[in-house]
Amino acid sequence: MRRTRHVDLDQGRIRLRIPRLRWADLFVEASLSVLRHPGRSLATVIGTILGAAAFVASLGLGTTLNQQVSSAFDSRRATEVMVQPETGVTSASWLEETALSRLRRLNGVVHAGRRTVLSDRPIARTVDQAATAPSFPVIGADPAAVRVMAPELTVGRVYDDFQERHATPVVLLSEPAARRLSITRAGVAVFLDDRAYTVMGIYRDVARRPEAMAAVIMPYAVATALSDSTAAPDVLIETAPGAAQLISRQAPLALRPEAPADLRATAPPDPRTLRDDVESSVTESTVMISAAALLIGTVSIGNAATAGIAARTGEIGLRRAVGGRRRHIFLQLILETGALGALGGTIGVFLGVLATCVVSLANGWTPVIGISSALAACAVSTVAGMLAGLIPATRAARIPPVQALQR
Amino acid sequence: MLRMRGVSRTYQDGEPVYALRDTDLDVAAGDYVTITGRSGSGKSTLLNVFGLLDVPSTGSYTVGGVETATGGQALRGAIRGQVFGFVFQAFHLLPGRTALENVEIGLLYGPHGRRRRRQLATEALDRMGLSHRMAADPRRLSGGERQRVAIARAVAGEPRVLFCDEPTGNLDSDNTDTVLALLRKLNTSGLTLVVVTHDEAVASEGGRRLQVHDGVVIER
Repeated sequence: MRRTRHVDLDQGRIRLRIPRLRWADLFVEASLSVLRHPGRSLATVIGTILGAAAFVASLGLGTTLNQQVSSAFDSRRATEVMVQPETGVTSASWLEETALSRLRRLNGVVHAGRRTVLSDRPIARTVDQAATAPSFPVIGADPAAVRVMAPELTVGRVYDDFQERHATPVVLLSEPAARRLSITRAGVAVFLDDRAYTVMGIYRDVARRPEAMAAVIMPYAVATALSDSTAAPDVLIETAPGAAQLISRQAPLALRPEAPADLRATAPPDPRTLRDDVESSVTESTVMISAAALLIGTVSIGNAATAGIAARTGEIGLRRAVGGRRRHIFLQLILETGALGALGGTIGVFLGVLATCVVSLANGWTPVIGISSALAACAVSTVAGMLAGLIPATRAARIPPVQALQR
Repeated sequence: MLRMRGVSRTYQDGEPVYALRDTDLDVAAGDYVTITGRSGSGKSTLLNVFGLLDVPSTGSYTVGGVETATGGQALRGAIRGQVFGFVFQAFHLLPGRTALENVEIGLLYGPHGRRRRRQLATEALDRMGLSHRMAADPRRLSGGERQRVAIARAVAGEPRVLFCDEPTGNLDSDNTDTVLALLRKLNTSGLTLVVVTHDEAVASEGGRRLQVHDGVVIER
């Protein structure tokens, strides 16, 4: 049809214009359809709301957890170095106090101490129970090495340098050991090889060296007196954050300058690499969960839009009867589903942020939410809404007016 | 003004159904035409083809000398929106919109801007005696009021032909009288009316009476 055409209707000529719908009117019509039917709109967007909320919450919680995991790695594992002798090295000069003093002077060393791990030994509550007493791993550690392991004491205190120097027979019991021995307080005695040891404290957890979790810790000097062929001496070092890699290279030289190759220093992986690996695996999982949530949201809005539009065929017929063209119907419906997607996305983002904050605060974490994930959720929801409306809008626009009015 | 020549409408539903057969018909400006017939006789098909809501299977249908088969849906939409008006038995008012907004929808796809549309809609409702019900939701209106809103929507754009499909089918006798009086008044003012009805009283209002029987149109 040409832009205008004249029709002679006896009384005079009428100039026909191609029916048109201004963009402003289109937006008003779409907005009224969405806002004046809140129940219908909510039923359509509920899936999108849940999808966007799940997207933002899973990404937000994933980022928050990444931050927590990274902090834990940075503050614990990434600040720990262990030095051990290479196989066949028998010299113990690297364990002497002068060698340790050189090590402690290195910039970046916070604590450094000797440790030896003995095989399991029976520990009894009384001398006569020695034959039936339960066995526990025994760790000899000087006070500096104990500070590196950082046991969380529930009872008593850690022995000090005086007790170390004088090889005082004292022990720290792990909670499992204390429970097996029915010990709940410091000051009582336990027996190991018929010798009495005073319990100085009971610990629940250790920040480093998990092998100490169910063990008995005693001064290094005391443990070396008990030492057997299975004893494995090493030096534990706590470093400043970020210094572990450097200290692991310098420690053998500081402890045994004449033959540093006799010692092997073990440091955790580079914290940045470790963090990146962890973050990458957590992010991959959360992105997959989030994408699935948004896909479900899209399918949901598609289904709801199909049902909603099918219920409006009478309205569509009326719009066609009063001059509306197929493209007007199509554009209005696409705009409506897009607006519903945007609305659902916005509500979903709000709920997702709220859920992230509530869960984080309940766990004592600092919530971390990327603005990009919130914007992405809104944008994806809008596009998802428009895509979901494509098929029902196309179908609706194709219904001849006479059929639409009869339904 | 409206001219049908050899118009037929066939539906393919397994066996072909001849809803309208080889119809020659002219409607002049100012006519008040009523169409009657039994259910399934083809009277609604005739109205739909007349109103360009449906397209003929064969034959020629011109509106003001313009062949409607050649202009595509854009031309038929333009004629429906700017020359024709429609009143339906089921009213087809949009819930959630006020009476005024419903009337404005009749003008939405036409040449007028928003302010002019509002003015024309207000005047149309005023003519129907509903100026006090402009802000009401159609769900809160009586049947008679709904049909008057529907008529206001149909005539707000000042069409030349008004097609009514059973306009009193859902109304009681009082409201039927009111609607018929309105239609009479509109016809008197020069509006061409084509009314489908099964009600003899409504049919007798028309200056020309057509009867459809098995798709064949007979002038009575």
